[in-house]
Amino acid sequence: MKEYSLDISVTPPKEYESYFVPVPKEFLEDAYRSDDFVVFTGPQHGGSGHMRLIIRVKGDFIVEVIPDPGYVHRSMEKLAENRLYIQNIPLFERPSIIDFGNYNLGYVRAIEDALDIEVPERARYLRTILAELGRIGTHLYDAGILAVFLGHTTGFMWPFALREYIVEIFTRITGTRITGSFVVPGGVRRDVDEKTLDMIKRMLNALEFRIKKFERVFIRNPTTIARLKGVGTLTKEEAVDYGVVGPFLRACGVEYDVRVVEPYEAYDEIDWDVVIGEDGDGYTRFLVRVEEVGQSINMIRQLVDNLPEGDVLSDSIISFNRKDIRGSFFEAYADIVLPEGEYTTLTEAARGTLLYSVISDGESTVPYRVRIVTPGWMYLKGFMEACKGHRLADLQAIYGSFGYFPPEADR
Amino acid sequence: MAEASLIFILLERILSIFTDELINIPLINPAVEMLLKIPFLNVIVAFILWKPIFHVLILPGLIGMTLVLLFIIYFERKITARVQWRVGPKEVSRRTGGVIQALADGMRYLFQEVIVHRDANAFYFLQFPLISFLPVLLPLLFIPAGGTYGIRTIYTIPAALALISLIPVFIVAMGWASNSKFAYIGSVREAFMYFAYEIPFLLAVVAMIVLYQTSDPFEIVAKQWIPGAVMNPVAFLVFFITVLIATSRLPFDIPEADQEVAFGPYVEYSGIIFGLVMMLPYEKLYLLSMISVILFFGGWNGPEIAILGDLAPVIYLYIKTIVFMCVVSLARSIYARYRLDQSLRLGWGVVFSMSMIALIISVGWMAWLRL
Amino acid sequence: MVKVVKSPKDGLIRSAAGHLRAITEVAKVVVSPGTITVHYPRERRKYPENFRGMIMFDMDECISCFRCAHICPANAIQMYPDAEGRYFPGIDYAKCIFCHFCVDSCPTAALKQSKIHDVAYRDVDSMNVSPEQMNTIPEIVREDSVTVEYDFEKDIQLVRKKEFENLLVEVEKPERPEFKAVPQYGENCIGCRLCMFSCPVNAIKSKLEETKVILETDYERCTGCGICVRICPTEVLILTPIEREGDHQ
Ligand code: SF4
Ligand code: SF4
Repeated sequence: MKEYSLDISVTPPKEYESYFVPVPKEFLEDAYRSDDFVVFTGPQHGGSGHMRLIIRVKGDFIVEVIPDPGYVHRSMEKLAENRLYIQNIPLFERPSIIDFGNYNLGYVRAIEDALDIEVPERARYLRTILAELGRIGTHLYDAGILAVFLGHTTGFMWPFALREYIVEIFTRITGTRITGSFVVPGGVRRDVDEKTLDMIKRMLNALEFRIKKFERVFIRNPTTIARLKGVGTLTKEEAVDYGVVGPFLRACGVEYDVRVVEPYEAYDEIDWDVVIGEDGDGYTRFLVRVEEVGQSINMIRQLVDNLPEGDVLSDSIISFNRKDIRGSFFEAYADIVLPEGEYTTLTEAARGTLLYSVISDGESTVPYRVRIVTPGWMYLKGFMEACKGHRLADLQAIYGSFGYFPPEADR
Repeated sequence: MAEASLIFILLERILSIFTDELINIPLINPAVEMLLKIPFLNVIVAFILWKPIFHVLILPGLIGMTLVLLFIIYFERKITARVQWRVGPKEVSRRTGGVIQALADGMRYLFQEVIVHRDANAFYFLQFPLISFLPVLLPLLFIPAGGTYGIRTIYTIPAALALISLIPVFIVAMGWASNSKFAYIGSVREAFMYFAYEIPFLLAVVAMIVLYQTSDPFEIVAKQWIPGAVMNPVAFLVFFITVLIATSRLPFDIPEADQEVAFGPYVEYSGIIFGLVMMLPYEKLYLLSMISVILFFGGWNGPEIAILGDLAPVIYLYIKTIVFMCVVSLARSIYARYRLDQSLRLGWGVVFSMSMIALIISVGWMAWLRL
Repeated sequence: MVKVVKSPKDGLIRSAAGHLRAITEVAKVVVSPGTITVHYPRERRKYPENFRGMIMFDMDECISCFRCAHICPANAIQMYPDAEGRYFPGIDYAKCIFCHFCVDSCPTAALKQSKIHDVAYRDVDSMNVSPEQMNTIPEIVREDSVTVEYDFEKDIQLVRKKEFENLLVEVEKPERPEFKAVPQYGENCIGCRLCMFSCPVNAIKSKLEETKVILETDYERCTGCGICVRICPTEVLILTPIEREGDHQ
């Protein structure tokens, strides 16, 4: 294509000086002088989430995307420093409340590491069930967001309806739809009764039944494939370089899953496959997560079937009833003091590797410092790089295929 | 005295112009006859029942269109909700299942502030949504409805299409007057999409005209003892797809993709003006559906109903149009949005070749029928 | 152990089949929709007994132990004194995150869950409810006559029953031994008598023997709230379980 340049002097609009724009002035001036176009997407935009994307486009092609995250930053790490260890559980599930199982689990495991608490078998299974249910829920949620970014309204509503199944089970187990705060050091807060376990299995059948419909209407829909296939491709090397995590890393062909590498809870006691992709494009990223839902369903079935009998609260914590924490929560957790040191756990949350690092000074009932690295933050760079060279309309498709979730990344 | 009688004679003359082409509905004939005896009022009644005016203002025209729009928006929301395991609008007037939802939304728009932002070219910004009614209402003059018609020529279909194809010009102009980045991108997209569909669209219509060997809708309808969609299904498919593109329905709502460009050309509009511009694609859909019913589904053909007289064909056309629109509105719940380049490729590739095939089929039919 | 997913190949036939699949599926749903909507104010979703809704309070049960206020992660509970100087909790629902740590901490089930999840307040200030307000069951305006329960059998089923669900939940007292504060290590006492002043039920008496303060608990009165235990700077008092053996603290 031949390019014609017109030598007209252009000055960027004045507004750019008064807005807080996290890009150098030269960038804007340069874009304006060449015939590029700078588009600001978000934070109030149908396809941006709680963040601003500053997109430089040449014609219809994206040259560069600069993210401006932090709109939902809640200074979680600082807040954690003046809360009791136990009070941080509800706090730390806030980055991604729909995936509370994994978020609780990571933090609680750090505490258990420090205090050497042995978790009863049944509790470990129940925690894994919660984590996997959360994974299904989150993947469905992300599929819905992806669908709405592609303009597929049915693809948006159906996964959200399906998530209702998961939420129903969460309600029965934890008493709440999201924000479960259910995993506590030494086990889970309450035992799950037979009726609910039976319902989980029936729910999974019903879920599979409708996911098949969803597959026909959205997942295998030619428009979906057309929009996602070959879009936002990351090679294996790039993905590793940019530090992409979770299903998005696996979609590029890297076999890394914390659940296999450092198994925790009940993951090494059940049969399941790590799902990887080959192409590393948007559609593979989506398919990997679709397949992971299938794997999770399979896992939960096994977990429910093999659920051992017994207590759900460890002997090393104070609880008067080892099947229900009610009445002894305060005695058990109010005065937790971790021995001095740093305790780090890796968890495979739905969107990828989640790191908690709890540092204790050994004498206070609050953590000295907690570091959380959420998957969203990790793959932001990969997401930005994947956009380059694609069309402006692809930005939302790539966004959706990454399932980027600003509250999670901003913490 | 002389002056008064002059006025009366004049009125008489005017009245006779109207009564010459009065729509004949046996059902209300006694009432009409009675009203026609009353001086002055008779002129108004005759004017309203005069075929061209009745056509443009009442049944397929303005009032009919408003009703269709209110209904189709409600229907679209309801059917989408049904597909999506929801219920859809219901709370506004629960007893009727929420039929007046669209009306309620319209009222809401009416009371919203119309914001004209600083950078907009206020004059054109406000003007275009209003004058965009021209290319919507003028084609109605040409599209006949059996019993009623506005202007009767043998070039009806080309004339109507020419007027309809003005609508994108107004949309692009709106985007330009908005002077906003998203509106600008949306306008460019609208212009591109226009190129994507116009040629296959026209070819499909031409295929049908070749098939019937006339562009006079009365003859076209008369010739359709088999619906055109059966005679030339490929042409119908092309027409259907291009209607989707032309009215920016999913999977082709690229110009106004709300997740990408936030309603594109309409991004800066608010209040009732936004309501008006949002109606534009629906109005276009109404017109195109009407043409497609005439071309492919036997227009106003249907069993005669004596009591309705001239109104019966109008109602047949009207109902068929609504059904066609309902089918189109289902596309929304099936598809995701294509990308701009993909739909351009689709338009110039698959759909264009299909339209050529349609043309060949028509020529084949013609040759066979001539033999 | 590793499953590889591949995206389908392109092709006109494939994509035509895909279109057809999507269209037929949607057509099927149009004919028999799988609506899962619960028409909320008219119907009500059935929630389990452990649903974490609005918190009910029974003042007669409360032993003013401050556990709930201490554990609350959102700092939503404030203890208000009554005329006699006893403290009772009041929850600020503007802050509460419904984690129910307080409910799980309450030793006497004075705080208990309910299934009320839709509450309207006039303004933010009135969301800060006092113990007296918590003690009374709020006025509930209900339009529902049908309870909907989700059930699953191959597909989801909405079981609609014409019943009026009670939103209040009967809660048994948590299983825990009864505790009493015992001045076990009297020799450590420095005579500050903070325990005596802090006791909500005036169960601790002190008497002076020469220079030494001797503490004595009135076990009839002691509720085992543990405030004295927590406040004592030298750990003289110990919460001791009575009746049952085997449990510690
Ligand atoms: S439910 Fe949680 S946040 Fe609310 S008052 Fe109780 S402890 Fe505090
Ligand atoms: S925890 Fe229970 S008994 Fe103790 S103060 Fe709170 S409500 Fe009262």
